[in-house]
Amino acid sequence: MSRFFRGGDDSSTESSSDEEELYSGSEDEAEKKEAKAEDSSSEEDDDEAEEDESSDSDTGAQKKGLSRFLLDQDSSESEEEEIEGTTKVKSAKDKRHDELEATITVIQNGQKISDWGSIANELDKLNRQVVKLQDARGKAPKPYIKCVAELEDFMNETIAKQKVTPKKMNATNARGLNAVKQRIKKGNKDYQDQIDAFRKNSDDFMESDEEVAPAPKVPKVRFHEPTADEEGDDSGFAVVGKGGRVLEFTPESIFKHLRSIMESRGKKNTDRLEQIKIMEKLNKVADTPYQKIRVLMTLVSARFDLGSGGAASMPVEHWKAAEGELAALLRLLDTEKDHVVIENAEEWDDDEKAPTIAEGEKYLKIPGSIVSYIERLDDELTRSLQSIDPHTSEYIERLTDEGSLYNIIFQGLLYYEMLRKDASLEVPQESLNRIIQRRLDHVYFKPAQVVKILEENCWKEVPSNVNSVITPRTEQNDASHLINVLCNYLFENSDGIIRARAMLCQIYFLALHDEYYRARDMLLTSHLQENIANFDINSQILYNRTLVQVGLCAFRKGLVYDAQNTLQEICGSGRQKELLAQGVMMQRYSQVTPEQERLEKQRQLPFHMHINLELLECVYLTCSMLLEIPLLAQTGSSPDVKKRVISKTYRRMLEYHERQIFTGPPENTRDHVMQASKALAAGEWKKATEFIHNIKIWELMPNTDNIKSLLAKQIQEEGLRTYLFTYAPFYDTLSIATLSTMFELDTRKVSAVVSKMISHEELAAALDQVTETVIFRKGVELSRLQSLSLTLADKASALIETNERTLEQRTQGSTNAFSRKDGRGGQRGGGQRGGRGGARTGGNTQRQAGGTQFTGGALGAAVRG
Amino acid sequence: MVDAQKDVPIKSAQVEALVVMKIVKHCSSSFPTTATGSIVGMDTNGVLEITNAFAFPTVEVTNTDSHQSNDASSLAAAAPRAKANIAYQSEMIRHLKEVNVDANNVGWYTSATMGNFINLSFIENQYHYQRENNKTVALVHDVSRSSQGALSLRAFKLSADFMTAYKEAKFTTESLQKSKLTFKDIIVEVPLIVHNSHLLTSFLHQIPALPDNPEIPLPTSLDDIRRDPARAPAHPSFDSLDLSIDPFLEKTCDLLLDSIESHYTDLNNHQYYQRQLTREQFKITQWQTKRKAENAARLAAKQQALPEDEWQRLFKLPQEPSRLEGMLNARQVEQYSKQVDGFTANITAKMFAVRGNLLPE
Repeated sequence: MSRFFRGGDDSSTESSSDEEELYSGSEDEAEKKEAKAEDSSSEEDDDEAEEDESSDSDTGAQKKGLSRFLLDQDSSESEEEEIEGTTKVKSAKDKRHDELEATITVIQNGQKISDWGSIANELDKLNRQVVKLQDARGKAPKPYIKCVAELEDFMNETIAKQKVTPKKMNATNARGLNAVKQRIKKGNKDYQDQIDAFRKNSDDFMESDEEVAPAPKVPKVRFHEPTADEEGDDSGFAVVGKGGRVLEFTPESIFKHLRSIMESRGKKNTDRLEQIKIMEKLNKVADTPYQKIRVLMTLVSARFDLGSGGAASMPVEHWKAAEGELAALLRLLDTEKDHVVIENAEEWDDDEKAPTIAEGEKYLKIPGSIVSYIERLDDELTRSLQSIDPHTSEYIERLTDEGSLYNIIFQGLLYYEMLRKDASLEVPQESLNRIIQRRLDHVYFKPAQVVKILEENCWKEVPSNVNSVITPRTEQNDASHLINVLCNYLFENSDGIIRARAMLCQIYFLALHDEYYRARDMLLTSHLQENIANFDINSQILYNRTLVQVGLCAFRKGLVYDAQNTLQEICGSGRQKELLAQGVMMQRYSQVTPEQERLEKQRQLPFHMHINLELLECVYLTCSMLLEIPLLAQTGSSPDVKKRVISKTYRRMLEYHERQIFTGPPENTRDHVMQASKALAAGEWKKATEFIHNIKIWELMPNTDNIKSLLAKQIQEEGLRTYLFTYAPFYDTLSIATLSTMFELDTRKVSAVVSKMISHEELAAALDQVTETVIFRKGVELSRLQSLSLTLADKASALIETNERTLEQRTQGSTNAFSRKDGRGGQRGGGQRGGRGGARTGGNTQRQAGGTQFTGGALGAAVRG
Repeated sequence: MVDAQKDVPIKSAQVEALVVMKIVKHCSSSFPTTATGSIVGMDTNGVLEITNAFAFPTVEVTNTDSHQSNDASSLAAAAPRAKANIAYQSEMIRHLKEVNVDANNVGWYTSATMGNFINLSFIENQYHYQRENNKTVALVHDVSRSSQGALSLRAFKLSADFMTAYKEAKFTTESLQKSKLTFKDIIVEVPLIVHNSHLLTSFLHQIPALPDNPEIPLPTSLDDIRRDPARAPAHPSFDSLDLSIDPFLEKTCDLLLDSIESHYTDLNNHQYYQRQLTREQFKITQWQTKRKAENAARLAAKQQALPEDEWQRLFKLPQEPSRLEGMLNARQVEQYSKQVDGFTANITAKMFAVRGNLLPE
């Protein structure tokens, strides 16, 4: 619905504008507020409106109001008929009257037996019914007035009695009485004059006026749908408020409008678009900076309200408008230095006159939070990006808005820096931290070149005389320096989550720019892995992202072992998507409530921040292959070491791959890695290298060739190790030269690898440097039987331990429970003694068990005893 | 007379050589898969005489399932209690009666590898027989161990305690504690005697043995004939002096490890159950205290108290997993350990003998 009326068509405009004038001119302050509240309150709420009307009618505006409605009578009557149904108008009304009568009888019965509980209930019902039966002037039906008046009398009587008699009412009755008291106080206010009339002369009241036909109900005002041209062409149209009053936009009325809009915030059925339009107009007429600031702030927050319903993001045009208005606001604040927007300012209540700068104060403080607006703007962009399909041009278009958002953040930062300069304003450090965090959030995952462009653009926006304390203009060119400065600022001035996030952002950035050792050292010294579980989920996601980035960085450096170790935690779980917030996994067995699902969706990162999952998997699998294949060759079939598994995911894939009867040429990354693994295990390192090099996704890495050659070298080495593990039992001696030709490795490299293996006791051999041969020692390895019996021994001791633990649990750590000394005679006494002494001896056993490898422990003591 | 006979429990089993040969042949011919058959005979005075045996027909598994061999084995293992086989068995016994062979069913036989016969299937089969007639045994022929030389044929029956417990099919911790049934009491071994008929004994004694060297010098005098070394036929083999330990111990170790693994699985199952139980019980006590408080409040308000035993309807305690599997597993482990024990005792003795006396000076 709209408040725009066609001015020429309807004569009501005149009268209602009269009314407006009358309100603003003659009536007192309170009255005016009421009227305004009425303007803004929801149009659909007929009942409420009617009540308001009726209260209006008491104060003498009745005639005006009535005449206003009468003008519309012909249209409203037909509407009423539509509502009431065409034929049974009368009977429906009668029915309601009957219901009312019935309720009143119940109340009267309740009065007789003082059952206040039921009276309270019935009164509620009555009030509901009577609203429907009111006539246009707000006159309630006579029986109702009578009943209420009587009830009030009775209630007053009861309360008076209650004070005198010491006997207490029971709880339900007392509660009922209280409820009735409140209801009556509230309800009777509306009908006070009728009740007074009734009190004066009850009989007369009941008789009189009975036959007066009920005036038409409060007619609904017919609204016209707003059309686009209406807005542009104001000449023929007047803007009309609710109830047909024209809204005039004058600089004086701005605060009034703003207040009404602010008050309707959050209420149901508020037409936000409508309000936004009003405010846009207000913005045009506002002339003082104070007005402008107030209008802009209200406007921006109203725009944000558009997006606050459910998961939908706010519309793009509104986002852009909000962004523009926020920019305008910041510009304005920049030029008008004596106006400041801060959180801890006091609300200015006087709508009549704008506040002025008080004596002795430097600033005019306006309550508000720029940082919240900026954060909200940022969040809305993220939400909008989440909902757009990332593979469309729409996404890219939307993404360009990030630049302007970054500018806003930057300007906000400048503004807060300016505020911070004056200590008297007491701007909390936290606001500055939050805005810096936002800035950091926009740069940490971007390559240095992109950050540089972003920075250049935002410096272009601000006037050249402005400079930032934290990030000076002169140092804008170095992205890593920028990150460093921002993070250091947060380290020094913040704590808790923001600090941890800053740390993670910096590590991420470092890892992205191939500074592995710095990133790793920072990650390790931060000790975040110990307490990351206590942080909120978004920080945990950031932690996961950082971890993955560090792992990828290690891989790029050729540090296979480190890369695998780092990635294990994320990739080994098989739930990369969820852990990195890059997609929702379908869970087969657990039920996810829609609520959880919605939350999960909200946490998703926008596409441009994603880490390529396929590349991640490829890196992880390749690293796992390089570590696992030699290990598999080393352990062979001996049962005790079989359990040592580096990557379960990889093992499972390998097993699955081996089970396949027919393996075709590799298609995806996984196939490539699996076939390479097979080739590597068979000693065909050249083939393995070929398979790995054929993986397409390496192209996504910076300097692909470098990585490929690194991988080739790794494969050669691991191939050599695998070969040695597999075929060592069949050799007595092996010339290093042979090995070096076999694997096309430098002889020095071969001897290095072999020496390393020997020193790690992976290979029972010696290196003869004179003849350049590896001499294998025989009979050092355990035979199968030996290893089996070792395993058996391990198992047996584990079993004993389990048994001991069970026994201790059962006897509450008392070893005496099984002691046989007591015999049968003193069983009762002995049992008790054992129970009490248990605590002491139990502790003793514990220490014993810890000290040596194999002790009898609890069982042993029992046997010995 | 009949009652008196019934009261005498079986003290030992006496197996005819014919039965032994038949069982050995059947079991080794179908080696990797399990072979089962029925034995007939009669019991006299506490001695169960087993006089004949016949194999159950094997069902050809034609469908090409993924676990084919497994199927054949499990089918054969389940054969003694299969419906078709019961009919076959009674038919066979009827035919045997016609040729005047003992026509009483006294049990069944099965093949085993390294003593791995203690499982649910074995118990079920023996229960199936023993339920009908208490004087039945299960003969177990260990193919792998027999291939090493010494014949391994043992007779088992279920203990009476176990029979009653199995009848009730209750193997909860509580019932086990009450009946004091342990894994040691599941099966009882019956001493086994191999009996040859007199005719066979005399034949064995007269088996013509090949002379040491093909050309025997003709006796030159009567003394030579008298001095002729009449070597005993079927002299003991030297297999028992074999010192190789590897295949046997290795295999047993493997099996032992497997058993321990399954023990752990069982343990985990039980722990899971216990956790579940405590969780449920906690919930129940919570509910009960809540209900009690509610009732107290209602009592104060002079209202009727709510029933306090509703929890039986609201909560369902988890079913305790049967301990039978665990018990059998324990028995199996014991079986393996005894095997290793017996074997190593022998081997150690031989080793010492080799070191001490038999080495040439």
